[in-house]
Amino acid sequence: MATFDKAQGDAQDESGVAVSRSSTDAGSWVVRVVTSPQFMVVVVMLLFVGYGATQSGQFVSGLTWINILRNAVFIAIVASFTTFVFVSGGLDLSVGSLFAVGAMASAALAAAGVPTWAAVLLGSFAGAGAGLANGLLINYASIPPFITTLGMLYAARSLVVYFTGGEPIAPVPDDFAAIAQGNFLGLPLLLYYAAAVVIIAQILLQTTVFGGTVRAIGGNREAASNAGINVRRISTIVYILSGLSAAFAGVLMSSRLGSGQPSVGVSFELQVISAVIIGGTSLFGGIGTVWGSLLGSLVLSILTTGLILLRIAPVLQDFVIGVIIVVAVGIDQLRRRRMFRSTGVR
Amino acid sequence: MQLTANVAPALELRHARKAFGHVVALDDISLSVMRGEVTVIVGDNGAGKSTMMKVLSGVYPLDSGELLIDGTATVLASPARARERGIAAVFQNLALVECLDVAENMYLGRQIRKFGVFANRKAMIEGAADTLTELKVRLPSVRVPVGVLSGGQRQGVAIARAVQQDTPIVLLDEPTAALGYRETQQVVTIIRQLRDAGKAVVLVSHDLPMVFEVADAIQVMRLGRVQGVRRRENADRNEIIGLITGAIGSDRKVA
Repeated sequence: MATFDKAQGDAQDESGVAVSRSSTDAGSWVVRVVTSPQFMVVVVMLLFVGYGATQSGQFVSGLTWINILRNAVFIAIVASFTTFVFVSGGLDLSVGSLFAVGAMASAALAAAGVPTWAAVLLGSFAGAGAGLANGLLINYASIPPFITTLGMLYAARSLVVYFTGGEPIAPVPDDFAAIAQGNFLGLPLLLYYAAAVVIIAQILLQTTVFGGTVRAIGGNREAASNAGINVRRISTIVYILSGLSAAFAGVLMSSRLGSGQPSVGVSFELQVISAVIIGGTSLFGGIGTVWGSLLGSLVLSILTTGLILLRIAPVLQDFVIGVIIVVAVGIDQLRRRRMFRSTGVR
Repeated sequence: MQLTANVAPALELRHARKAFGHVVALDDISLSVMRGEVTVIVGDNGAGKSTMMKVLSGVYPLDSGELLIDGTATVLASPARARERGIAAVFQNLALVECLDVAENMYLGRQIRKFGVFANRKAMIEGAADTLTELKVRLPSVRVPVGVLSGGQRQGVAIARAVQQDTPIVLLDEPTAALGYRETQQVVTIIRQLRDAGKAVVLVSHDLPMVFEVADAIQVMRLGRVQGVRRRENADRNEIIGLITGAIGSDRKVA
């Protein structure tokens, strides 16, 4: 990797000189962009869209793109905080079920006459509560994240169906439906919500003390603990945020649909995890960005819409997504091995 | 409380015991580390040196016995608590996070804040670069991930982190294990600076020539017990080796 060789060279040149405070001018920003994990994804998507535009005029219509963005919103909101879970070295399989928890809880409350703001908050907090349960079981009862969140996936979905009798909740009040159905300056409100969540998450992960500790516990849990970081508390907070974001996205879904659907969000966790991985976040912790996950969400949405416009059999969509995920993780492993001196796996 | 409080050891273990299941790693261990002195712990593999360092740095709790700081019995429930009580540690496995950069590692667990919640990157970069430059640790930049550094450079970062905390007690577990001759001499210099600054230094090392260069007191451990303690000026290399290997009997048996 160019940046690595450069760093080595500098180490020799600078013998006896003060330690550099710059980023070893690790290449210009061009080098950094080209070697970033997201670069290949962007190139492939541009090629895909470019090819699509020659095949179907709809590829270049503004309406198509608004639809693509609107479909990406739900994945992007949840993926923003699933990124935190991955970066902290964890895993959350329960976000699809917690999405349904938020969707049904808020719809039921709104339909029962609870004010809209309270329905939104309480629906979201239901997911945060489930996230807290995940975090406590993982960090204080030492049950592996895979098992804990798999259990939550089943348990939360089961309770949703039990309390609703498996029936949709409709209609919801207009106030509640307006949250996700409205427009502002010609763009769906949903886009503004997603933009806000993504920006907040990105700032939280990259610039705050909390974000730094999340990256530290995912990079080396023992080292973080030895350095006095309360690893369990940080990790628990991360699961709470994950549950909160999943339920909030579910609330928006109920508003958008104008009804609470108990089957909403089934296998949604797989799409979210795919988006995060395609965005260059490492499964092994420590490395990842929220804006990468946003990109991953867009990729999934562009593919879903694009393959339909190209009249490719919908069943083949999953084939394409499957290939992309495996390639993305392959690139991540290769990158770690080339970047760090120890083996890639940690 | 006691009249001798002002000359109490900075760090002390009394009858310390730590077992993992049936394996007794520390058995009735005593240790006394004075301010402005370097106490070196030597011993073969499995002697209990690293376990003792982890007890002193708050990673492991003691099963029984006492840990005293400045003559006051203390329980170090966590590494964070140990740091609050003025103990900085360099661990044998270095305890660095590979995917974070040098500056972030230098301030691991004690990031400089800005507006309460934000990390002050600039201050940490400056602070890390200043300390590393002062200690003559040579690195490409404080903004490269620790994962790209050599073993020696990582040692430099880990030691610099402990030095920068400016705590009265510094623990160093095998700080020269991955180093060449020149870097080892650099570490020796740093250790002497710490001692001259009045700090209590506990050093674990296999490197006997280096031990004799920096030690004020040498404590030999063997199979989880204290084999003997010698002042450097009275110590003889062959005697220390004899104590390490067990060829010379433990002081406690003689007594």
